[in-house]
Amino acid sequence: MNRFQWFLYHLVRLSLALVFVYAGAVKVQDVVAFAGHVAAYQILPYAMNYLVAATLPYVEFLAGVLLLLNVRVRPALVVIGGMTLIFMVALVSVLLRGLDIDCGCFDPAGGQDVSAGMALLRDVGLMALVVLTWWLRSVLMAGSAKREA
Amino acid sequence: MTDDLKRIFLEACVLVAFGALFGLTMNHQLVLDAFAGRLVPQVNAEQELQQNVPLALPMPVLLVEVQQLLTDGGLLVDARSPELFASGHIEGAISLPLADIDDILPDFIALTDKNRVVVTYCSGFGCPDSFDLGMRLIEEGYSDVRVFEGGYPEWRDAGLEVAEEDQ
Repeated sequence: MNRFQWFLYHLVRLSLALVFVYAGAVKVQDVVAFAGHVAAYQILPYAMNYLVAATLPYVEFLAGVLLLLNVRVRPALVVIGGMTLIFMVALVSVLLRGLDIDCGCFDPAGGQDVSAGMALLRDVGLMALVVLTWWLRSVLMAGSAKREA
Repeated sequence: MTDDLKRIFLEACVLVAFGALFGLTMNHQLVLDAFAGRLVPQVNAEQELQQNVPLALPMPVLLVEVQQLLTDGGLLVDARSPELFASGHIEGAISLPLADIDDILPDFIALTDKNRVVVTYCSGFGCPDSFDLGMRLIEEGYSDVRVFEGGYPEWRDAGLEVAEEDQ
């Protein structure tokens, strides 16, 4: 791994980490409002919206913290990638049904409405960062293994 | 390589389980209330007093109570936007979007007896419009206003009758 790749790895890792730590942290402060955003997707049964709202932000936060600490990076990437994929499917479903809702991706009580289309574009970007981080991490580990051998 | 991937996915599962467990620990009462249908709008009574808002509050009602109230002649009012109302609403409800309340309310008052039971609803949990509309109706003199907190999502998910494009 060259110096540029090393720098890029840590840059994308920290960027992803901060996004998910922030997303999780703001949601746990108002779980009820976040449940309202989940309900607006009209995908889950009524009470399940609360279950998702009560658990998802903590998973986001935990995965973000692991990325931030550079610990268990690839499991954290799998979780973040999986969640992002689920968000993308939900947003596509919203667009197909023509629902006009705020994505609820970050601050649920902040009143900063982000359309499903914009949120989907953002998630595509996040997914690209996940794939890039995974690849750079593999290069980094291959380099370490070669040095040890 | 396969073992490595297996370990990564296993650790990812543990991460999700740990995060979810922590979230459930922090919010277990909320989740239990949601599944039991016991959630009510959060109201800061002290704040309401300071703002000179009437102390009477719309009473929260459960799905089964809504059905009974409708049978007894109650009026169901949808506080969501006209677009959401058109895309699907509870059968028999009338549209009274909170965003346009000042324009629509005079007609509503002219046509609706203030002693009639009025049940407001919107998009379920986290949606404050039904409660705000209920407060507004109480201010206008309606004597028995209830809020169906589960709203359209709970009604629809219960498989009860809904209507579309019927404003």
